[in-house]
Amino acid sequence: MDLQTATERAGPREFGPADDMPREYREAATRMIQFHANSEIMGAYIERPFIRQAPSLDRKLAVSAQVQDEIGHGQLLYRAAEELGIKTREEMLDELAAGEGKFLNCFHYPLDDWYELPMIMFFVDGAAMRRQATLKRTSWEPYAHAIDKICFEEGFHIKHGEDILRTIATGSRKDQERLQEAFDKWWPRILQFFGPTDDQSTHGDFSMEVGLKTMSNDDLRNAFLNAYVPKARKYGLELPEYPRIEYHEADDYYEVYEEDLDWDEFFTVAKNELPTGAGQIDKRKRSQEAVEWVREVIESPQQGGGNPAAADD
Amino acid sequence: MKWEVFRQEKKKDYHTHVGNVHAPNAEMAKQYAQIMHARRKPANSLWVVPKEDIEEVHADEQGIEMGGTTQKAYRWATNYNTDETFAEEIEDSQREQEQAEKDLAEADK
Repeated sequence: MDLQTATERAGPREFGPADDMPREYREAATRMIQFHANSEIMGAYIERPFIRQAPSLDRKLAVSAQVQDEIGHGQLLYRAAEELGIKTREEMLDELAAGEGKFLNCFHYPLDDWYELPMIMFFVDGAAMRRQATLKRTSWEPYAHAIDKICFEEGFHIKHGEDILRTIATGSRKDQERLQEAFDKWWPRILQFFGPTDDQSTHGDFSMEVGLKTMSNDDLRNAFLNAYVPKARKYGLELPEYPRIEYHEADDYYEVYEEDLDWDEFFTVAKNELPTGAGQIDKRKRSQEAVEWVREVIESPQQGGGNPAAADD
Repeated sequence: MKWEVFRQEKKKDYHTHVGNVHAPNAEMAKQYAQIMHARRKPANSLWVVPKEDIEEVHADEQGIEMGGTTQKAYRWATNYNTDETFAEEIEDSQREQEQAEKDLAEADK
């Protein structure tokens, strides 16, 4: 199929592995889905320490369920991406381990404490969910198929995140202060989640033309702010004075003052060069190496021929 | 040789198991599947899979737990009473989960 035909035919779930897609399409889709898959995995690693740090058994169970879900989402997405024939799942996982795989800006910053957790679990996951919901109509069918399951599960994550947010926000004055501090720190990164305004994204237009994306970054950011700014206010969080955002009621539009945000840092993040981001990649590498022996056992030819009975004794 | 048949009704639907056919090879299996399962009912695509190539794990097997037989309320959106109506996509997710819980309860009866 040539590019023009792909553009003309582009629509929700229109293309699948049986279609002979042009290389430009397959590369753009791979880039997008691999980024998404990497972000699921790195997001899981950000939340993982809170299985241990959770203040109650209920929270511990729920956080561990979420981490398990996110790793599963990553796996679903690598499969949707490898069907495009550009990279194998192993190649994408190797790139992530080598620090070459790109992922969401917010996951380049580790969480310092429990007060910061709802910043990821409610606001960042909420932003991601806004974007994901629009991808049920993406043109690459295996991607949409994975998104169905991801969105099914994600509602629990965000509601749990809000539940944690509410618990802290209705706690002591000290709790409220620390929550506000966490918000001040994370809010600029959350605003950058959808990239620069006016969508200077080099890949955005093409992805829209071939139906991979169905909504621009600008529109997504606006839809996110519309739903989540009132939530922040509901829990007594004050939007910091800087970066400035201004709501234009006539157009139902949020203006984000781009010059108030640190784009040098954003593009350093995008190149995987922010030290804390590199730290997250290294952390994952250490965890991977620690359980390397499990993978070896599973994939060894003797698997099953070992002596499983001995383990039960 | 037995082949299991999966039918996709319309483009973009998922393939669903509809039955099986006896055939000596894949070519014949595809033909029989067409006659058996796509002649009267609408179909966009059929998959045929050798029965012996299908591996199964069954809920009745010892040590197997599937379909939420343990109490795991904490993994459901419905367990948290925050308001989901502020964002359409979260509301959709919650409705899907409510349906899944209902199906689960039905299956238990």
